[in-house]
Amino acid sequence: MQPTARPIALRKEGDDRLRIDWSDGHNSIYAWKNLRAACPCAGCREEREKPPDPFRILKPAELAPLKPVGIAPVGHYAYKITWSDGHDTGLFTLEHLRQLCECDLCKKS
Amino acid sequence: MQPGASQKITLPGVKHVVAVASGKGGVGKSTVATNLALALHMLGRRVGLLDADIYGPSIPIMMGVHETFDPNTAQFPLDRYGIKLMSMGFIIKPEQAMIWRGPMVHKYLSAFLTQIPWGELDYLVIDLPPGTGDAQLTLTQTAPLSGAVIVTTPQDVSLIDARKGLEMFRQVNVPVLGIIENMSFFVATDGKRYEIFGNGGGKKLAQEAGVAFLGAIPIDPRVAECGDHGDPIVHKYPDCDIAKAYLNLATIVSAEIAKGGAPSELPGLQL
Repeated sequence: MQPTARPIALRKEGDDRLRIDWSDGHNSIYAWKNLRAACPCAGCREEREKPPDPFRILKPAELAPLKPVGIAPVGHYAYKITWSDGHDTGLFTLEHLRQLCECDLCKKS
Repeated sequence: MQPGASQKITLPGVKHVVAVASGKGGVGKSTVATNLALALHMLGRRVGLLDADIYGPSIPIMMGVHETFDPNTAQFPLDRYGIKLMSMGFIIKPEQAMIWRGPMVHKYLSAFLTQIPWGELDYLVIDLPPGTGDAQLTLTQTAPLSGAVIVTTPQDVSLIDARKGLEMFRQVNVPVLGIIENMSFFVATDGKRYEIFGNGGGKKLAQEAGVAFLGAIPIDPRVAECGDHGDPIVHKYPDCDIAKAYLNLATIVSAEIAKGGAPSELPGLQL
């Protein structure tokens, strides 16, 4: 990513994906579920490092399909996504978002 | 005033928000922020000064505010020497230690930005505490910063931390307007110039970082005396060399802001 590339537009693509158009001409695509799986907050990072617990009791909020309910800029450098289960502590920096891009170009490289 | 949850802050009446920062403590950020704010005012601008150092607020003593106020009834911001002011030091006693974790700092700083009626200002100068922690995060995440000036003294031990402060603003995409070298030199009564804390550090940092060197402020014992007595040197001795240095600095900072322009906001998306 060019050091000064910034998002110029955000769009929903269907119900399950986010598109970000960048100032350097790149267009990023993300599945919302993949963004949640890559949440950079300290809690989620810790959870990902633990082995899965087959006996974990699900919370009621986890039984409903997970959806994003908000995405808002944080300063000039990140976005915060709020999810339908109330989770909202992850800050996705612009750099991180470019690394997570699922477009064909980024997948090949 | 009720500290509460943070929100994106727009400050619609404020044209430019300028942070005065340094990685290092003791380099003179509060002195620079106060005198820079007054110098901008002397240039005919409408100016506010926000003391973002929750743990060690300096603006009250520097601006001659000796009383504390009930935050539920007081009319903030205060006005001294034509500058609008807000500080934690206006609502706590000087001897009171603020033993707070980050979320409390965030709450109060956000309240100072969102609940104080700053009105129409050309510049809101924010005096940051040292370091790259909670106060800096709150401001860079919520306030519409036009840019930051980094204060350093000439010596390496200050430059090491000033670099960190500069790098922090880079990481959060806040423009660094430039470097100010404080306590740069002392001119004795014999007319000789003494570089007590070394030489050239500020310029060297500016060159390394590719930012403007905004100026050098000399050492003058009256700076500390004026700060302690609540009448900053730019106001008390407007014709002295230090005041002229600050007026020059204010002119350059204005020009740098005008040149760069504030970074545009990131686009949002309604879901």
